[in-house]
Amino acid sequence: MTTGSLVLEPGQFEPPAGQITFLYLPAQDLFVRRAARLRQLANGHALGGYLQFLASLADTQQTALQRLPAPVLPAPDEQRLCRQHGMPLLSATTWPREPVWHEALSAILRQMSQIDLPVAAQETIRSLARQTPAYLERQAGLMLMEEWEELQPNEAPFIGAALQVYWLRLASALDAQTVGRLEPSGRCPVCGSRPVAGMVRGDGLRYLSCSLCSCQWHLVRVTCSSCRSTQGINLHTLHGADDPVRAESCDACNSYLKLLYLEKEGLLDPIADDLATLALDMLLEHEGFLNAGSNLLFHPGRGPE
Amino acid sequence: MQVTRRQFFKFCAGGVGGSSAALLGLSTGEALAEEVRAFKLTRTTEVRNTCPYCSVGCGIIMSSLGDRAKNVTTTIIHIEGDADHPVNRGTLCPKGASLLDFIHSPNRLHYPEYRAPGSSEWKRISWDEALGRIARLMKQDRDANFVARTPDGLTVNRWLTTGFLAASAASNETGYLTNKMLRSLGAVALDNQARV
Repeated sequence: MTTGSLVLEPGQFEPPAGQITFLYLPAQDLFVRRAARLRQLANGHALGGYLQFLASLADTQQTALQRLPAPVLPAPDEQRLCRQHGMPLLSATTWPREPVWHEALSAILRQMSQIDLPVAAQETIRSLARQTPAYLERQAGLMLMEEWEELQPNEAPFIGAALQVYWLRLASALDAQTVGRLEPSGRCPVCGSRPVAGMVRGDGLRYLSCSLCSCQWHLVRVTCSSCRSTQGINLHTLHGADDPVRAESCDACNSYLKLLYLEKEGLLDPIADDLATLALDMLLEHEGFLNAGSNLLFHPGRGPE
Repeated sequence: MQVTRRQFFKFCAGGVGGSSAALLGLSTGEALAEEVRAFKLTRTTEVRNTCPYCSVGCGIIMSSLGDRAKNVTTTIIHIEGDADHPVNRGTLCPKGASLLDFIHSPNRLHYPEYRAPGSSEWKRISWDEALGRIARLMKQDRDANFVARTPDGLTVNRWLTTGFLAASAASNETGYLTNKMLRSLGAVALDNQARV
């Protein structure tokens, strides 16, 4: 056997076995699993009624998702351009939404109207079903621009649910290889939205879960998702240090994001477990921290200003 | 990205009375408010570090309990392999995996001790005494055994009778200084501990 040069050329060096996958596209049965987790959490919970409602909403999201036609994605040239310049391909704020998301909303409202719900919820469903496309577009725009003060808290979960279905359908048609990293890394590389929460998987890697398109992207642990600080990172829990849901706060920018430890509980779902631990948000808000995450299925209420 | 404070998810007046849940008639938020009053936050701090054992230099994440700001002693409660670290990708060897016990071990050495020749007793001494004694013995040995020239007149400036074993998880800078100091004394036997 003849050997050439013993000096390794670029590309010859094998990457270590545990190469980190940067992006996971959403699974097609995400809403089914979310509904199951919500029902599990609702039992005996202080917000049980709301979690039960969200479980039904997640069921309707799954049905609406299956009815959506195949999406039209940006041309390969545009995809390459976005990657080159670190821009989100399906930007929440600039992507031209197709009217099919209204169909998703109609399907969600139609199914929700058949469920036994309080009068206030039934009225919201009826009034949303009668709204003009222009009104719905305006509400969607406000939600995606994070103008929470302008949104109706009772309508937001339905609008958010329909937008999630539409964006999940778009994102799941992508090729994960075409998506590049985004700066700042606290935003979704696919649509530029905020995460709901971080998921710390069994292998110890942390992925942030998008509030809109449900993609999960890698972010190095013990790093603030908002300002990238690696100092002054604290974890806050409700039931002791071993809790599967922890809020990771940053002393440098005073923000926090929840982390869900899948090693402690395999069924954790970012949206469901975020809303099942609102007590954690309230206590952190009391300590002066701001939530760096976002959950489209819950509007905390409009402030007095 | 510039974000206004208004865009952050915030509860109004500390409750969920104006939230989606309340306005859809699904919760008044009273049960939640009661729950919040019953809870007290537990706070742990996470930091990255490097395993102190061997020259592989595996990345670790350490969690400590206790709020330094409130004058409470912090205790390390958990250590795990750093999954993001390119060297070990979250794995640790049995020694690294037992670092927590190493930190809390009652047998851990906290100060220099000296056992005189023939004695069976370890005696606690100060760092000054320990370093002074080591320096004195090194000098004595070097003065007695330093070789400036070989018998046939070749300049060698070597000191063969003392060897030096440096630490394992030393940084490049520590390695540089170790070499600088020992080579300047003429020491030839210099090694770094690769495994502990």
